Amino acid sequence: MNLLIPLMVIVPILCALFLNLLHKKDRTIKTIAIILALLLPALPLLANYGLHYFGGYAPLIENPTLSNNLPSLITGTALNTFHPAITYSFQSAQKIFVFILGLVGLLAIFTSLYETRRPSGVYGYMMFMGIAAVTAILLTDDIFNLYVFFEIAALATVGIVLVSNVKGNYETALKYMILGGIAAPLFLLGIALILGVTGNVNISDIIYSLQNGLVDPKNPVLLMACGLIVFGWLYGSGLPPFHTIKSAIYSKALPSGAALIQTFSVFIFIALGIIILRIFSYLPFSQWVILGASLLAMILGITMAIVQTDIKRMIGFLAVGELGYIGIGLGLGTAFGITAGLFQAVNEVIITAFLFIGFGTVLYQTRVSDTRKLGGMLQRNPLVAFLVLIAGFAMAGVPPLNAFQSKLMLIQASITAGFPELGVIMILLSIVTFMTFMKAFHAVFLRPKPVDLELKNEDIPKATIITLLVFLVVCIIIGLFPQVVTSYLQPLATSLAGGIV
Amino acid sequence: MNLYDLIVKKIKDIQGEGDDAAITNMSTSSMLTAEITLISSILVALVMLRMVNNVLMFVAVLVVLMAALIAMPLMPHFKKEQNDSLASMMFYVILALAIVITLFYWGNLNV
Repeated sequence: MNLLIPLMVIVPILCALFLNLLHKKDRTIKTIAIILALLLPALPLLANYGLHYFGGYAPLIENPTLSNNLPSLITGTALNTFHPAITYSFQSAQKIFVFILGLVGLLAIFTSLYETRRPSGVYGYMMFMGIAAVTAILLTDDIFNLYVFFEIAALATVGIVLVSNVKGNYETALKYMILGGIAAPLFLLGIALILGVTGNVNISDIIYSLQNGLVDPKNPVLLMACGLIVFGWLYGSGLPPFHTIKSAIYSKALPSGAALIQTFSVFIFIALGIIILRIFSYLPFSQWVILGASLLAMILGITMAIVQTDIKRMIGFLAVGELGYIGIGLGLGTAFGITAGLFQAVNEVIITAFLFIGFGTVLYQTRVSDTRKLGGMLQRNPLVAFLVLIAGFAMAGVPPLNAFQSKLMLIQASITAGFPELGVIMILLSIVTFMTFMKAFHAVFLRPKPVDLELKNEDIPKATIITLLVFLVVCIIIGLFPQVVTSYLQPLATSLAGGIV
Repeated sequence: MNLYDLIVKKIKDIQGEGDDAAITNMSTSSMLTAEITLISSILVALVMLRMVNNVLMFVAVLVVLMAALIAMPLMPHFKKEQNDSLASMMFYVILALAIVITLFYWGNLNV
């Protein structure tokens, strides 16, 4: 038993609760929040790989003292291998995902502490709770436990938007909750149907039941369950038709909050995508639906991004479009394709957070996000302009930055898998992504400053500059040494692909 | 009337009389880029139908190309549909649910 595995979830929950007890002691809260937030990326680095059984209830097969005293009616059947407790699995892929989630969480919290008036309160609470929920989603092998944290992540997302002082945030949060009120119960219904058919909520046990003939894989109830879980996946990650509300949610949060919310979306996307591939890869439609939804997200997200005039909405739609790249990798179904997709997920999380916080500096100084009313920010902040430019280059896949490596891998994977058309579309949309970014960059930084544009805050907090520099370093390191990340992702990709290279 | 003028006219229609924001060169060229990207991406994606049948792919590409040329500009319509109205979001959510369930339930049992 590795006690550091549950601590990855428990620590952010404790942070969320504890910091509010120190309300009004701003300096103390800032210091403690930064120290505790440092634990978020540190814990996955310190923890050993393995499984954690809550309550210590391991499967009977791993507990001979107990199983020897039981009748063969139990020990001689599949019950011997089933997991009686909620199980968390921590392997190499989870290590890199939780580390990146912790890193973006740390930087978002660090930025927010110096950009918001009060470091304690609901905003910090929601950020920590969201991180805890998404960490649990990445670790859990129990589909019902996943649903519980899926809902907590959705509530944390709504909470972050509600407490962000952005015009129209209440209405957007309400719409997101209403749409969630349709999608989340249907997702739960899908889980209930799986429980009804297999008698299990542990994902490994469900797969065991399907592969060993304990359950008919073509059972219509199971097919319906798969459809409902796919629908929950569309909602949780913001794929079409939820791309409009998801991009609106990003645009109605503070930049640090938006950076974190998009991180939640990407990790929920891959966590559920992996579950769909693990359980339902035997269904011919599962891969096609993943490919179709991803392709649609790419096309709609990026074409909608270019016609936006609000910077945050533009990045929001770009983030949705970039999700499509990840899905294409997963949908290809080959080990190389899945590695490329997961690698793209890691890169997208970093780059989109980089862009949100980078463009967020403009919002911090001017309180304006409409590109038609902005301009001349290059003279005001040449360093920030340079950092944002690099972030945009990274998103478009310009070498030697990180997304160049993952997008190149994705294009190679699509050609190898016999889908060169996907490669062509990905190149085309990367060019349009670059153009979209340059349009926003020109409007904000290069164009002359409008006469009526007033600066509300003169100086950008040093914490924000440090955050942007850290993102820059991470983008360059991963771009130059992609194997630092891909080596952690390959074992999971190989197991998901079932031997297809 | 060329495509550029058509797009300017459509943007004016969508903005309505009340909106006094100017239609800039940038907004029109953005819309034009989105239009071309949308159509070319869909056409390239349709080429993947060759996995099912070559004739089907050929017919689908031709039909979509013709439809796109006739209905051009598409992007203003797309932008109008993907607005922040709860009613239109709900409509597409229910439509997506129907498509996903049909694909998984009927498709896996009958294809």
